[in-house]
Amino acid sequence: MHNKSMLMAALAMLVAGGSLLANGTKEESKAKQAQDESGVTVYATSSFCGDWGPGPKLAKEFEAKTGIKVNLVDAGSTGEMLTRLIAEKEAPVADVVMGISDNLAPRIYDAGILASYDAPALKEIPDFLEFDPQDRLLPYDYGNFAFVYDSEKLAPEDIPHSLDDLLDPKYAKKVILIDPRTSAVGMGLLEWTIEVYGEDHWLDWWKQMEPNTLTIASGWSSGYGLFTEGEAPLAISYTTSPVYHVMFDKTTRYQALIFDEGHNTTVEGLGLIKGAKHQAAGKSLIDFVLTDAQLDIAETDSMYPANASVKLPDAFDYAPKPEKNLFMDADVLAKKQNEWLDAWEKAMGNK
Amino acid sequence: MRARRHNSYDTPGWVALPSSLLVAALFFIPLLATLKGAVTSGTLLSSLRDPYIQKTLSFTIWQAFLSTLASLAIGLPGAWIMATFKFPGKRLVRAVSTVPYVLPSILVVLGFVIFYGNNGILNRALMTLTRISEPPLHILYSLKAIILAHAFYNFPLVMNLVSTAWSHQDPHPAQAALTLGASRWRVFCTITLPNLASMVVSSAILVFLYCYNSFSIILVLGGGPARTTLETEIYRYAKITLQPDKAAAMALISLVVALAFLVLYLCVSRLFSQPDEVSSAVRTNAKAPKGLAAVAIYAFSFLAILFVLGPIVSVIWRSFTNKASLAGGNTFSLKWYKQLFGITQANGTMGIAQDALVHSLAIALACALCSIPTSLSLVVAMRKKSMATSLLELFCMLPLAVSSVIIGLGYLFIATRLRIVGYPMVVLAHLVIAIPVCIRTLLPEARRFPQHYIDAAHTLGANSWKCFWTVELPLLRGSLITGVAFAFAMSLGELNATLTLAGRSIRTLPMVMYQLIESYNYQGACALGTILILASLLVFWLDEQLRGRESLL
Repeated sequence: MHNKSMLMAALAMLVAGGSLLANGTKEESKAKQAQDESGVTVYATSSFCGDWGPGPKLAKEFEAKTGIKVNLVDAGSTGEMLTRLIAEKEAPVADVVMGISDNLAPRIYDAGILASYDAPALKEIPDFLEFDPQDRLLPYDYGNFAFVYDSEKLAPEDIPHSLDDLLDPKYAKKVILIDPRTSAVGMGLLEWTIEVYGEDHWLDWWKQMEPNTLTIASGWSSGYGLFTEGEAPLAISYTTSPVYHVMFDKTTRYQALIFDEGHNTTVEGLGLIKGAKHQAAGKSLIDFVLTDAQLDIAETDSMYPANASVKLPDAFDYAPKPEKNLFMDADVLAKKQNEWLDAWEKAMGNK
Repeated sequence: MRARRHNSYDTPGWVALPSSLLVAALFFIPLLATLKGAVTSGTLLSSLRDPYIQKTLSFTIWQAFLSTLASLAIGLPGAWIMATFKFPGKRLVRAVSTVPYVLPSILVVLGFVIFYGNNGILNRALMTLTRISEPPLHILYSLKAIILAHAFYNFPLVMNLVSTAWSHQDPHPAQAALTLGASRWRVFCTITLPNLASMVVSSAILVFLYCYNSFSIILVLGGGPARTTLETEIYRYAKITLQPDKAAAMALISLVVALAFLVLYLCVSRLFSQPDEVSSAVRTNAKAPKGLAAVAIYAFSFLAILFVLGPIVSVIWRSFTNKASLAGGNTFSLKWYKQLFGITQANGTMGIAQDALVHSLAIALACALCSIPTSLSLVVAMRKKSMATSLLELFCMLPLAVSSVIIGLGYLFIATRLRIVGYPMVVLAHLVIAIPVCIRTLLPEARRFPQHYIDAAHTLGANSWKCFWTVELPLLRGSLITGVAFAFAMSLGELNATLTLAGRSIRTLPMVMYQLIESYNYQGACALGTILILASLLVFWLDEQLRGRESLL
């Protein structure tokens, strides 16, 4: 009796295991095939590849236009993506990488995994956005970091107008910040405080913000997720964040705040992988992103397009442009970033 | 062989070989791959001296200690109730309370935000009742939140382990003491408590290890870098700031501390499982509650149920809602279930949810079936106590003490070199995670039944093989069912190892849930979570039913 049932179990296991094995190898060979054929493999972040990111649509349109197949790989966060690219340096799988912001760029330069590409479309991109003189990373969109607020939770007279205003005790536990060690948006805020308060006093702002901080999220998606869940009425994000809500949610509930001190600016770039198998296809994809795909990317990513010739839809009226664009010098950043982050960690980390 | 010289029959050690090799290949190779950097780079010493890492280590231990106390504070009264009283729905309560144990932590975090958050169900209900405009309870984003979430996860573990030990106690010494005139309190302090002490301690150490290795809960509910643990720092160094050597050094420090607690656990649990006669008196002394005890039980049950069901029901409730937009109000909707079961066409991530459901069920089934021969072969080999079996036990329990973050890093290392990751690998990875739990369920039972049963079978002419089928297996049947239930449910809810091992190419329920959460489709994620909750509930309820029937025979 027991013998029989155990035998049946063993048989069932064999069958289940066998079918899974077959399934697994089939998927693998499919992935390999996609890579071997004349297509282009793109690594991008989850937000770019996800449901609400521009990735899937862009891939489809590029395929329709050029006949080149796009293998869009969701490589996780920027950090995960970089780890993977560095691990694959000797035998690159990706041809193009997307979604590296200027403040994380020094890391990718150090790793030496990108090839220069002087794309024709660079002519239409304003000089102030071209952050890499060697054209390894080409700018495709940009935005300004800003605090966004929930107009149903904050009365008009309570709206802050500067980083200084945010220190007011009336915002106790009402602000969501993001960790600069783990997120480009967090790093953007750190740079912003340095641009406004200088190297000697920026950390004071962070320390004084402690009672007003609900949480320091590890990434933008979890921070902004908590904000739209109604956990706090103020959160660090982008000036362009309301555009998304206007276009897809048909609401103006969430608004961006323009601060008197000016706003730090971030530029997102893409680049060609050094030693990529499909150089030509990679280059034509980059050209496509810098021209035809600009509006789509701007709309779905809620960023300003880098290409100045693109005309924006009305929803972008809800993305107020700051009067002052603040920039962090990439070389200073590369030199000082670790020192700043260490100081931040000492002040904000485990006590 | 040595056992024969002692004139008693034992299972040969080689039966454990295939399973041990599996654990070695899927656990130790990735682990060594992770730790290699710590030894070769020399960052270990500088990390040990780094005050930030010291502070992080002490906070990690501190929060795990507090979380363990909280789990005991809720779990022990629960154990008393479950062991002492009979009441309607007891099996269901047990099944429900086991569910949190197998839920992926991202789902628990989501449930906590929806239920306990500033804008959560609890606060909104209190605001409506008291007519105040600010949320009265500030629970999340603090040490409190970490402890609360860990207690949610772990008090059922304490409750179930201790109540099982309690109801398996031989009632005769206590009855004798009562007859001899001892008060109930004295009997409890001098007989019941000393008997349970080792189980309380060993369950506390297990809880401590889980809290020590916790990741998502600390990251989201802890409120930021002021409450950082070793695990979150290892993740950050390895995956974000790209300092693998520093990550490896911290992983080694973390591992040594966890290992110390694991050895302690094994020592304590050995004290516990002294062989004695198979008790036939199990569950005969449970009675219906009366008077004050009844009030206490109902109060406790109400609070425990609110505590466990709050976040779980929040997830289920949310899955039946659809916001017209992120900003709009919630309306009742079956949209996510229609998409999940392919009744309506879905784009993007929800479109692959149905595939994920099928894959998850197949993987969980395969994992559950594979767990039978693997854990049985290990358990029969380590039933006899010796130095060698102690080491084997430690070896197989290690996946419990090492966080999925550390193992994940090793998998990453292997995956980038081998590229052989498919569904079979996922099954094996889940199996390695399920094996320690299966062993923990089976081994005390296997050690409990006396050697002379087996010796008698051999004397009567049975060979080891026949003895296994006719004596050992039938005696282990009950705990085997539980082990298989856990293997199935754990595989169904497993996220971290799958994510790090297979990247995003593998579709399972938790993987798709994770992607949905990242793209703010919380309702869709909750629908998948609801399926997961119901499936685990069904499995544990079946387990209770099967075991319950068996104990009546």
